[in-house]
Amino acid sequence: MPPAAPPGPGPVRRDRVRPTVPATTSGTAASAGPQPQRRPRWAAPWDGIDGLRAVLWLVCGAVILLPLSAIVVLAITNNHLPLLLSGDVVEAARNSVVSAATSAVGAVLVGTILALLLDRSDLRGRRTLRLLALTPLLVPPFVGAIAWIGIAGPTGPVNRAWTEWFGGPLWIIYGGDGVVFLLIVHSYPIAYIIMSAALRRVPSDLEQAARISGASLLRSVTGITLPLLRPAAFSAFTLIAVSNLADFGIPSIIGLPERFVTLSTLVYRYIQSGTVESPLEVVATIGVVLLGVAVLSMVIDLLVNRTRVELDQSSAPPQPIRLGRARAATSIVAWTLVLAITLLPLLALTSQALLPAPGVPLAWENLTLDNIVRATTAPGTIVGATNSVMLSVLAGLICTVLGLAVGTIVTRTRARSNAALATVALLPQAIPGLVIAVGWLIIAPRIGLFNTPWLILCAYVMAFVAVVVQAVAAPLRSTPMSMEEAARISGASRLRALIDISWRMAVPAAVAGGVLVALTAVRELTISVLLLSPGSQTLGVSIFSLQQAGAYNAAAALSLLVTLVGLAGLGLVDRRRH
Amino acid sequence: MASVTLSRLGLTYPDGTVGLDAVDLTVADGEFIALVGPSGSGKTTLLRAIAGFLAPTTGTVHIGDTLVAGPGTLLAPEKRGLGMVFQQHAVWPHLTVAQNIVYPLRRAGVGRAQRAQQLARVLSTVGLTGFDKRNPATLSGGQRQRVALARAIIGSPRVLLLDEALSALDEPLRGALRLELQALTRSIGLTVIHVTHDREEALALADRVVVLDGGRVQQIGAPPELVSLPNSPAVARFLSDATIFSGVLSPSGFVATDHPCAVPGSRIEAVGGRSGPGSIAVLPEDIDLVAASADRQDVRGEGDDDHGSARVTSSLFGRTGNDVVVDWEGASVRCRVPGVRPLVGEPVRVSVRRAVFYPRAAAPAPAAVFAAPYHSTEIGG
Repeated sequence: MPPAAPPGPGPVRRDRVRPTVPATTSGTAASAGPQPQRRPRWAAPWDGIDGLRAVLWLVCGAVILLPLSAIVVLAITNNHLPLLLSGDVVEAARNSVVSAATSAVGAVLVGTILALLLDRSDLRGRRTLRLLALTPLLVPPFVGAIAWIGIAGPTGPVNRAWTEWFGGPLWIIYGGDGVVFLLIVHSYPIAYIIMSAALRRVPSDLEQAARISGASLLRSVTGITLPLLRPAAFSAFTLIAVSNLADFGIPSIIGLPERFVTLSTLVYRYIQSGTVESPLEVVATIGVVLLGVAVLSMVIDLLVNRTRVELDQSSAPPQPIRLGRARAATSIVAWTLVLAITLLPLLALTSQALLPAPGVPLAWENLTLDNIVRATTAPGTIVGATNSVMLSVLAGLICTVLGLAVGTIVTRTRARSNAALATVALLPQAIPGLVIAVGWLIIAPRIGLFNTPWLILCAYVMAFVAVVVQAVAAPLRSTPMSMEEAARISGASRLRALIDISWRMAVPAAVAGGVLVALTAVRELTISVLLLSPGSQTLGVSIFSLQQAGAYNAAAALSLLVTLVGLAGLGLVDRRRH
Repeated sequence: MASVTLSRLGLTYPDGTVGLDAVDLTVADGEFIALVGPSGSGKTTLLRAIAGFLAPTTGTVHIGDTLVAGPGTLLAPEKRGLGMVFQQHAVWPHLTVAQNIVYPLRRAGVGRAQRAQQLARVLSTVGLTGFDKRNPATLSGGQRQRVALARAIIGSPRVLLLDEALSALDEPLRGALRLELQALTRSIGLTVIHVTHDREEALALADRVVVLDGGRVQQIGAPPELVSLPNSPAVARFLSDATIFSGVLSPSGFVATDHPCAVPGSRIEAVGGRSGPGSIAVLPEDIDLVAASADRQDVRGEGDDDHGSARVTSSLFGRTGNDVVVDWEGASVRCRVPGVRPLVGEPVRVSVRRAVFYPRAAAPAPAAVFAAPYHSTEIGG
């Protein structure tokens, strides 16, 4: 699951690259045309807006550009290309690319089918099913991995039963195929959100025009609507592929037992165990390559979306796809699959958490609360929980303020540097968490944050500020500029109008984004595990360490608690939003 | 209240597009001015330059005696003491109706008691008494526009700017608000500059109408003057859908080139010279259509112009006269015909009751400047 998955509407990456100079409000050609320079040279007094913009550039430069340039500089000044072309790295890169690309294709396919079934068809119980289908989004990927080991691990109930009956296991989740499967499970909800938003934006009259012209409903959907979803599908693919490229939890828990090494697990090994000389330089080189892939995907997405057709608004509700005779069968299949993917892991986690050891049969007399007690009272857990709560709350607060300021200034003021500022603030969303962590690792000694939890906080802010920027910018983009102009005419200065109107209008969105940041950060693993230092372990790292140390049932118990608390928290946010 | 004086006001966009070109305009204290023009004519640019949202590249803007824009001076919008109503009302959704309306007073540092008093006054002026605690989202479009109007006038602005203020409303509501707007602004003697693309609205509301095109002022005048004596074929075509014929005017009358249209001199009013090559503008009201089967002598007896034979190509019903377009020997002619509505395809005879003549030099009439809103075939050389 990409940490920065925005729940906002529509293809997420579009906002990142769109020019951020908003058109003026009235529809006449005069104002739709190019805007003259706001303040010609002979009248250019510096005001509060310029000061604010300068401050935001400074902060974004320090938090985002500095670590990135550190990676690039370190990689360029030290030539480790030979090592990069060695067997280990090449194999890890191949594994990363193949698993990221396959899982992204799978996730987009699943997401599109789900969007059609849940949003357009008359499938039974689709409202409940929609909520269920989104739940993997709320479960951290490494927790999902631990849960699925409980289902399809070598000693999981499925394989044991199969061995009993047929003499061999059905499918052991360890290895590359398991990694791809889990990556799909944890990224299809994002694909669904993007595709569903894109589907809603296709005006229903387009399909109705096809129907009137003689096309059947099925043909109008496949011939008119689906082709219009192509840019959104591509956006979803790049977003998911980039974030899966450097996921750490799933490959390390599921892939390593079968020696399926990816770039992120390789980097972790280099940094933790010093198997290569000057690990930071090598890791920086790998980071630059990943950075290059991320930037390339952004550019490709930009080019693809440049040809995106503008769609008009339509008020008519779309006609549902009637499944007819296939309705009952489709409903049963969809419900079974979604339940298997969402509820089964939770059940597996619960049973693991309540059993003393893996392989102990599930029976009343075997159930125990020892794991939960042990996991929650272990000193490591308490340190981890305290650290995680503190770091994530701080990250949420900082991201709320920074994201609100950046999001409003780039959408509600006119300046040539707005597009650049927005790109900088949104850039980390396209960058794997691995690269972000490496960047901070490189500059940590120079800024005096080495071996402190504040290093993790900085990395969290860099990784997640885009969530708030997007949450703030999306609704503000559709708000006419006359909102601020009305305040100016009423006697407010530029800064005053920005505070009174733009900020206050955007505060609810910014707070929701900030809560999302905190909830994502509290369960974060990739960044935390790479920036681990004595005393600064987080909750995710605690669970991961338990799992690595073989305390599977304690890890499951802690995972269960984290998941339930996370579900409850997101449920609260969701309710507040309605 | 104050006057507004624009002098040689010019605005060129960075890409070279001319937004305004040497606009001279004086709006008197308490006057209601409407700016009309086709899309891209510069009317919104002009209004936004007065408001302070756009910086003019040349010329000056005075509000009252204050220079607000000119070389070396650019007063920020909030310091100009204006009120403005936007097309999309721009009522802030996160504030209540009352908070929206008193915002200008808060910025001006007016005390709480006085704010409440002023609020009550404007709420009753715009007919929203009792709405002060409401959330704008619960208001109708017309009510929101009234909130925007109340916000614009509560601070007793020196000038009220209306940017397509009624254009987003439905037709019947627009008509009602038009009446209210005039009553309200006239009763408190506000100076108003009203931008609209609706010609009827401009003519109906304004003391004087300014016709803009290509960033230049084409004509300024009171509504009756503009309608009856447009100073160029382009203005005639834009404001009244007039038909333009090119030809030659001699003492005996006007004869169109390559077209049967001929108008006796007694029926021609001239802007500029009274003879030579030029063109005439014929307003829809100034055309008589006679059924072709009627006795030709009846119509002919009075004048010596030749009635061309024409055919009705469209015929729309209108309250004050049917809106008819006829094809007269290749020219599409817009006519307003009272009485029986002609049928499409019906043969008719065309008679011009009155025309305005523009000599060629005085009326260059660049053909491409005005995108005529309706049929506009120019005939002859």
